[in-house]
Amino acid sequence: MMRARGWLAALPMLTLLAAGFAAPIAIVAVTSLMPPRTFSLTGALALSNYLAAFTEGYWRPLMWSALGALATTAICLVLAWPTANALMRLGGRVATLVAILIALPIFISESVRLFGLSLFLMPGGGILAGTLNELFGIRIGSILNTRLAALIGLVYIHFPFVLFPLMLGLGLVPRDQVEAARDLGASGWQLFREIEAPLAAPGAAIGAMLCFVLALGANAEAAILGGRAVTVATQAIEQRFSYAQDWPQGAALTMLLVLITALVVIPLLRRVDLDRLIGR
Amino acid sequence: MTGTRAQDIAGPGRVRNMGPTRRRVLGGMAAAAGAAALPGTARAQGRPLSLLTWDAYADPRLLDRWRAATGKDIRYEIHISDPTSVNRLRAGETAVWDFININNPWARKILWPEGLIRDLPMERFAPLYDKMFPKFHLPYKWAMSEDGAHLLGVVQRFETFDFVINSDVISPATAKDEGWNLFNNPDFAGRYGILAYEDWNVMDICMGAGIHPFREKTEADFAAFEKTARQWIGDARLITTDFVQLNLAILNGEIDAYFTGGTYSITSARLEGVTNLYAITPNSGPADGKGGINWIELNSAVANPNGDDTILDFLAWICEPEQAYIVATGNGNLQPVSQMAQPEVMAMFSKEQLDALQWDEFEERIANAVEFDIVPDYDRLYDIYSAAMRARG
Repeated sequence: MMRARGWLAALPMLTLLAAGFAAPIAIVAVTSLMPPRTFSLTGALALSNYLAAFTEGYWRPLMWSALGALATTAICLVLAWPTANALMRLGGRVATLVAILIALPIFISESVRLFGLSLFLMPGGGILAGTLNELFGIRIGSILNTRLAALIGLVYIHFPFVLFPLMLGLGLVPRDQVEAARDLGASGWQLFREIEAPLAAPGAAIGAMLCFVLALGANAEAAILGGRAVTVATQAIEQRFSYAQDWPQGAALTMLLVLITALVVIPLLRRVDLDRLIGR
Repeated sequence: MTGTRAQDIAGPGRVRNMGPTRRRVLGGMAAAAGAAALPGTARAQGRPLSLLTWDAYADPRLLDRWRAATGKDIRYEIHISDPTSVNRLRAGETAVWDFININNPWARKILWPEGLIRDLPMERFAPLYDKMFPKFHLPYKWAMSEDGAHLLGVVQRFETFDFVINSDVISPATAKDEGWNLFNNPDFAGRYGILAYEDWNVMDICMGAGIHPFREKTEADFAAFEKTARQWIGDARLITTDFVQLNLAILNGEIDAYFTGGTYSITSARLEGVTNLYAITPNSGPADGKGGINWIELNSAVANPNGDDTILDFLAWICEPEQAYIVATGNGNLQPVSQMAQPEVMAMFSKEQLDALQWDEFEERIANAVEFDIVPDYDRLYDIYSAAMRARG
């Protein structure tokens, strides 16, 4: 009886998920099996689009996206850990103010922020190059329109998505355990490896997962800052859907990206205790 | 324009810079959803005039004047590309849209034969053609059905779209003489950018490979195209869908030129005084001896089963001098319109605007350009092009 009522209560949400989440993915999945450059969902099913994904050079965009997402996640974790620790220790108004300053840009369009960074990095009359030249007579080049610029953009955009879950994770570390370890002579590295890292792992895992998934699907950084020094997966997908008018191939690439995401997210979510992280 | 030229996504004319912003897309979706939600009769009576258009026709001044003049509402969505919009009509959106403006070949070769647009009454619209440049006087090929019996739309904006140089570094005369070979020169590697209006890039690469973009290709042509595509894309300093970024790159000395480009991508900056941004149409090339490409937009009435003659009023109304001027200066951009043949329209343009348009060279540009057409073998060429893009880096 209770079980039936539970299902009944869940029905609206299940319907919403089925219509808004499962159905679109199902349509993309079926489209990916249609003949190339067709617009019907009733053609003969075939795997040719998936085959083409591996024979027509699409591995490069997939590789650049995966590498970019991995590097971004690693760099963000390295930068976020001391930042989160410092904020936790600071506490009070200062910590709140710094956290707000880091969080605020999230509410500004990503493209606007990236164009801002582009103006900063621009050679000649760019903010950095122009200022150095004007004030100190120093002439510098620019990393704009390179892979490095795209990576910096990825880190800049996704850093808050790692920082805040990590702060939640570090909040789970009992301060008395840290102090006890210190009293017993633990080094900073031992403290990190044996106390902080294991206890804050759920927060770090959630932050890393968020960052990886968002960076995997990002293309504005490679477009605006990278000058398309590389083609990322979502750019390749967009090309198939738009200029190429090849929806089935675009759908197959989309499904491959969904698969990569699922391979990362599902095992991770199974290991993380979300209830504990949010304090329930 | 421009087939591809909005970033804001067509054989001819796919993504143009002013591409679909989120607001524009949502506005269009709202219009479409709203229209779809109404019963047939109510739709015909109360629906706004719906434009599937390039950005110039979405200029607030034009929309406000229409509302003030007629009391009727107007909605729009910016194209992603010519082919994308054609496919939308094919998919049944003729019931949503009243107006479509895309590049010249589509109406005659696709939209009319497939019953996606309606013809215009000759007695009402022929006089409008008499007031355009002589090139467009009826029977103008691209405005007519293949059998010459039906008028398929009204010509308005037209221009060439080839490449842009920094005239402080490269002399315009040299660039015009060199034409597309400029980008074939290995010494120019890393000194140019690409505006990723990708169907236009495909046509330009054809020109650079010595192939007529609008003729059937041989296997040797495909090989030449691939060689040129790999070189041009591999050697480009930056590739972007944002022409402002390319203009800035020229100003900062990062690059000396970019393709695809033209007055469409530089007039705003030239109006601000950056006159070393200079549109080039080559003096010669492989397209019947020409190297430039001249796009001509045709404004047509969609064969909307719920539509009425309001669209005919709109098509005639935008040809009036005041409206033609707004279209020519729409959304901050300057582009020539066919009505500039009328002294009354020309008088509305300031000297600065005409200088920004490089108006003194306009006739020369048009004379050196082949008229835009559907690219045969486009799918195969595009696949070669996009593979070269993926191989970059």
